[in-house]
Amino acid sequence: MFVSERMAKNLITAGPDMTIFEAKTIMAEKGFRHLPIVDSAGKLIGIVSDRDIRAAMPSTLLKKADYEITLAKIMNFPVEDIMTKDPLTIYAYYTIQDTLLVMQKKKVGALPVIDQEGYLKGLLSVRDLLRSFVSVLNIDEPGCLLCIVVNAKEKTGQMKKIVDIITEERIALGSILVARAWDNNKRAIFPYLLTNNIINVKKKLIANGFELIDPMQWYLDHQQPQKAE
Amino acid sequence: MHCDRVQVQIRDVGLGRSRKIVIEKQENLMKRTGFVYDERYLLHDTGIYHPESPERLKTIFKWLEDSGMLSQLTRIEATKANQRWIETVHNIHYIMRFDEACISGLNEFEHPDNGICRDSYDTAFLAVGGVLKAIDAVMKGEIDNAFCAVRPPGHHAEADKPMGFCYFNNVAIGARYLQKEYGIERVGIIDFDVHHGNGTQHIFDRDPSVFYYSIHEHPSFAYPGTGREFEAGLGEGEGYTVNSPVLPGRGDDEYKRLIMQDLVPAFKKFNPEFILLSAGFDAHESDMMSGTNLSTEGYDFISEVIMNLVNRCSGGRVVSVLEGGYNLDILPLLVENHIRFLADLK
Repeated sequence: MFVSERMAKNLITAGPDMTIFEAKTIMAEKGFRHLPIVDSAGKLIGIVSDRDIRAAMPSTLLKKADYEITLAKIMNFPVEDIMTKDPLTIYAYYTIQDTLLVMQKKKVGALPVIDQEGYLKGLLSVRDLLRSFVSVLNIDEPGCLLCIVVNAKEKTGQMKKIVDIITEERIALGSILVARAWDNNKRAIFPYLLTNNIINVKKKLIANGFELIDPMQWYLDHQQPQKAE
Repeated sequence: MHCDRVQVQIRDVGLGRSRKIVIEKQENLMKRTGFVYDERYLLHDTGIYHPESPERLKTIFKWLEDSGMLSQLTRIEATKANQRWIETVHNIHYIMRFDEACISGLNEFEHPDNGICRDSYDTAFLAVGGVLKAIDAVMKGEIDNAFCAVRPPGHHAEADKPMGFCYFNNVAIGARYLQKEYGIERVGIIDFDVHHGNGTQHIFDRDPSVFYYSIHEHPSFAYPGTGREFEAGLGEGEGYTVNSPVLPGRGDDEYKRLIMQDLVPAFKKFNPEFILLSAGFDAHESDMMSGTNLSTEGYDFISEVIMNLVNRCSGGRVVSVLEGGYNLDILPLLVENHIRFLADLK
């Protein structure tokens, strides 16, 4: 749940005077897309992404000879010239949910993680974030997704009933997602159960008056064009 | 129940202008179908309220007895498999852990789904053994094909861990047995249990000599969460795994479409020399272990298409092994119908 657990550590970093050629080479060799730039003390001063590198390349429309001459000139420029200065950062004690919101709102692909003094501690990329969420949702563990509709007017106590039923059947809960706005005045709850054995849970839920959603039926119902109110 | 099928052959026994037509009655065409069942399979106790119960086999056996079907099948006796066959799929440390768990009197093995008792280890050996005996009988020509009513089931069991009520992957071990004991090169596995056979798929992921086909409830909604369309095998095994996920709520139409589109062309192309079935009956509309709505006729369709493939590719050689199926009211009927297709009585 916390950035410090999920971030990439032991990062490869560069000083501001590393050449574009060196940066391009090392990113290609090691297969990563974001290179943090730090000063001699280790404080973060910028970040270079593979897109920055690509933007600095000469146009592929040039004739080969011209292309190579231009390329030779560019490759010796320092990364300082193409990096994003003072990039957006996050702190190691942030949650992955915080990171998700930052990435969504600010439209960045990777966030360097710094401490209070500005020293680089790690990097959290979109890929790391995807892996983190798969892990906390536990959907990489074998299990079944239940889709339960709850009438929003009677919502108090419904979650407890659902979880009680799951607990009574001694089933491990991977995660529960809640859709607070579902169809009209309803809520939908999606427990992910870490078991093969869902017969008894389903029977109990139905016996307790819960409605289970049929995903395909729901999709087909929502295909109908909305009539004008 | 016992139908006399008569085939007539018309031979042209004359030359020139006078021709004599001879009609010969051939012997009854029912196939010799073997049946593996042992009362000791009932000893594997998964605990009360566990859906994978001994009752499943008891009701199947009684039904087949009462309907007279049993007397038309060739009974095959199960004996415990030699451990070296189990080791072709599972690693030795896993086998030892399973043994220890049973000996220690634990009532679950590594996950609450996997209910066990002291007899479970031996029963699992006997389940594998039953499948191997059925294979022997087919390869020796004593029978044409067989149905193995065994427990515990196998297709979720991985090389090094139990899962989803499964401990040893009966069908995977059967495939390796065919290859090593009988030199069979291409084995085709068709898994129509409603849960994806993650164990079987992973065991043969990189192996182009065993084709794994599974049709199952969509992994986004159902256990074990694997078996998406893009899972098609790895490395050299790429192209030798095909998955057909079915959304919950869907039934016969979707099953028919996918079977004809995904299974048939792939198997015709692979042309297996022997076919093994992971036969699960939990996709049925009245089985609450799944959200799919396959009807009894839908199951007949699957059995029929499979037998066509069997007759076309593997010279009639198929061994069908029970996996899931948890509604005791419908399971025995579905098993009998399936056996009827094996025996060519439909």
